[in-house]
Amino acid sequence: MSRPARHPESHKSNGFEDPLSNYEAPAYADDMERKLAEESVATVRTEPVTTVTPETTVVETMQLMADVHVRCALVVDEGSLVGIFTERDVLSKVADNFHDVKDQPVKSFMTPDPIVAYETDNVAVALCAIATGGIRHVPVLDVDHRIVGVVSPQRLMLFLQEQFR
Amino acid sequence: MGLRQDVLNEPVSSLPLRESIAVEPETVVRDAVRMMNDKRLGCVVVVDREQRPIGTFTELALIEALLDDPDAMNQRVGEHLTAQWDSVKQSMPIASVIESMQTQNLRFVVVKDDDGRAVGLTGQRGVCEYIAEHFPDTAMRTRVSKRPYVDQREGA
Repeated sequence: MSRPARHPESHKSNGFEDPLSNYEAPAYADDMERKLAEESVATVRTEPVTTVTPETTVVETMQLMADVHVRCALVVDEGSLVGIFTERDVLSKVADNFHDVKDQPVKSFMTPDPIVAYETDNVAVALCAIATGGIRHVPVLDVDHRIVGVVSPQRLMLFLQEQFR
Repeated sequence: MGLRQDVLNEPVSSLPLRESIAVEPETVVRDAVRMMNDKRLGCVVVVDREQRPIGTFTELALIEALLDDPDAMNQRVGEHLTAQWDSVKQSMPIASVIESMQTQNLRFVVVKDDDGRAVGLTGQRGVCEYIAEHFPDTAMRTRVSKRPYVDQREGA
């Protein structure tokens, strides 16, 4: 059986209205704005990343951060991101009583439920999270909420500097 | 003008500046940490007796100091200062801040006026805040997880 010919105007008679008929593509002032607004956050360097469990001690977490030369550790419980522990947490929660707290679990000092970006988000989303969210590290997750990496201001600066080459 | 031209042409004075904390090398780490917490800054600038910067003491230096010696809080910042730092003039383009931080692996730079006096700090966060102003819609829609507000900013 042959298909009936499709008339270009036939959808109008069916009451169908193309939701994109009035769509106008966003206009960007230059290529740098376009890249920030359209390129995936996954194009920013997101590794290395350090992960620990909630029961890892504070001093072990700090040692891992120092060994890997990163400023934060992601706290993961059974594959799920449950918190983030950063150098700011060392400054504000740990340093003053280091002797007493260094062997306690990091879960007591982490920031639970951190602000995240998904790898399908654009670079500007991570940048704006840092600019407006009062944070320096944005964990990046895939669609299944698995950890892909971390975006930091330093890694964003690297991305920006590459735009000038 | 577009973002690229703005970053290449607009002066450093367009960036948000943070007030810097100056301490002498004899300052005890515990006191420097208290000042950093009070001002919510990730570093203090270590200056000599003539108030000339000779280095910085950063959160990263604090971690390394504590791992090296759990009693580091009672030591002097001069024993843990990071000698690598840089400064830019207010009149230089914003791109010079990015260049300086990237080539020297710094998180912030000291901003000086045209007479060479330090007027504040700016850094990676300042550049991010400047660029975010070019994306007001994205900034307004930024996902903040289950928490509508953060309790405390994370630093300079």
